[in-house]
Amino acid sequence: MQQRVKTGIKGLDEMLHGGFLPQTANLIEGATGTGKTTLCMQFIYNGIILYNEPGLIITFEEFPQQYYRDAATFGWDFKKLEQEGKLKIIMTSPEVTKLDLERVGGKIETLVTEMGARRILIDSLSHFERLSSDPVELRTIGYSFINALKREGLTSVLTRESPTLLGGAEIDDENIAFIVDSYILMRYVEIESAIHRALLVLKLRGSDHAKDIRQYEITSQGIKVQAKFEGQEGIMSGSPRRMAESFVEAFVKR
Amino acid sequence: MTIQSDDFTAKLMDDMDARLLDFIKTKVNSFIKWDLVRFFYENPNTTDSVENIAKYAGRNTAAVQSELKELVESGVMEVQLVNDLPVYSLASDQEMRQLVDEFILACEDRHFRVKAVYHIIRGMR
Repeated sequence: MQQRVKTGIKGLDEMLHGGFLPQTANLIEGATGTGKTTLCMQFIYNGIILYNEPGLIITFEEFPQQYYRDAATFGWDFKKLEQEGKLKIIMTSPEVTKLDLERVGGKIETLVTEMGARRILIDSLSHFERLSSDPVELRTIGYSFINALKREGLTSVLTRESPTLLGGAEIDDENIAFIVDSYILMRYVEIESAIHRALLVLKLRGSDHAKDIRQYEITSQGIKVQAKFEGQEGIMSGSPRRMAESFVEAFVKR
Repeated sequence: MTIQSDDFTAKLMDDMDARLLDFIKTKVNSFIKWDLVRFFYENPNTTDSVENIAKYAGRNTAAVQSELKELVESGVMEVQLVNDLPVYSLASDQEMRQLVDEFILACEDRHFRVKAVYHIIRGMR
C-alpha cells in the first residue's frame, strides 16, 4: 500500500483513501468562509501533534497574529509550537517566495533543513495571479513553484479563493488545477432555504479516491467531514434538487 | 536652589530601564520605527520587500525605506538580497529579539509609553 500523508481529519482521510501522497501539491479551493484555511491549518497542526511532522505556513494576506488567534479558537496553540521550533508562520509575498525558492540556501530551504519541516501551507495561491497577466506564464510560474516545494520534500496544501459563493467555478485550460496533484472543492450549497457546506475530492493523481460529495461542519475542534448528501443531485451547482424532481424533469415531463 | 522644569522632566522621564532607554534613544527613535518594531513583534517571521512591508504597516514606501535601513544599521532588523531584491526581516539575534519583546511588553504600561513618546519627540528636535 502507498505511503500516505494523513490530514488527521477523519472523514477527509477516508475520502482520500488514507491521505495525500507524499511530496505532492494539493489545492483546496472554495469561496470565502468555506473553511479552506481552517482545513489547511488543521493539516499542519495534526501533522505536528499526531504525526511528528513539523510545518510551515506561508501567508500572503493574513497577518500571522490572525493565525495565532484563529488557531486558538480551535484549541491549537500555534505560538507554543513556534517556540518549540515545530512551526513557523511566515508573512511574505509571492514574488519574494518565488525568488527565495529559486535560489540555493533560501529561507524556506534553510527552515526545511533546520526544522525538518515536512508540510507546508501556502495561503493563498490566488495572490500569484498578480505576478503575471499572461495565463501561460502564470501556469509556468505555478508549475515551477510547486516543483520547488516538492524538491524540498514538502507535502503542500495550497488554498485558492473561488470567486463565486454558490455554484461551480470555471476551470480554464491554463488553470493551476491541472498542475496540482489533488484538487479539493469546498462549496456552499442551498438546501431547503438553508446553507450547508459541501466538500468534494475532484482529483487525486496516482490514487483512487471517494467520488461522493460530503457535508462538513466547522466545529470548535476544526473541520468535521460528515456523511454524503443523500437524495440530492446538482450539489456542486450550489442549488441541488431532489433526485425524484430531476427524474420527473428528465423523463416524465418529456 | 531651584530645579529647572526641563531638567526635572528629563530626570522623571529617564526613570526607566537603562537598556530600554538606550533602545528607544538609539534604535526605535521614530514613530514609524516603533510601528515597524511592533508589527515585527506581532508577526515575527515576516520577510518581505520594502513595498510590501509599507503596505502591511499602512505607510508610505519612501518613509518606511529609510526607517528600515536605520533599523538594519542598529541591528534590530536584517536585510538579505534575494536576486537583487532587498528583503527585510527581524534580526535573528536572540538578544535583540529579547530586547524587542521587552520593549513591546513594557509599552503595555501607560507610564512607560508616555516616557517613550517623550524621548522620541525629544530626539526628533
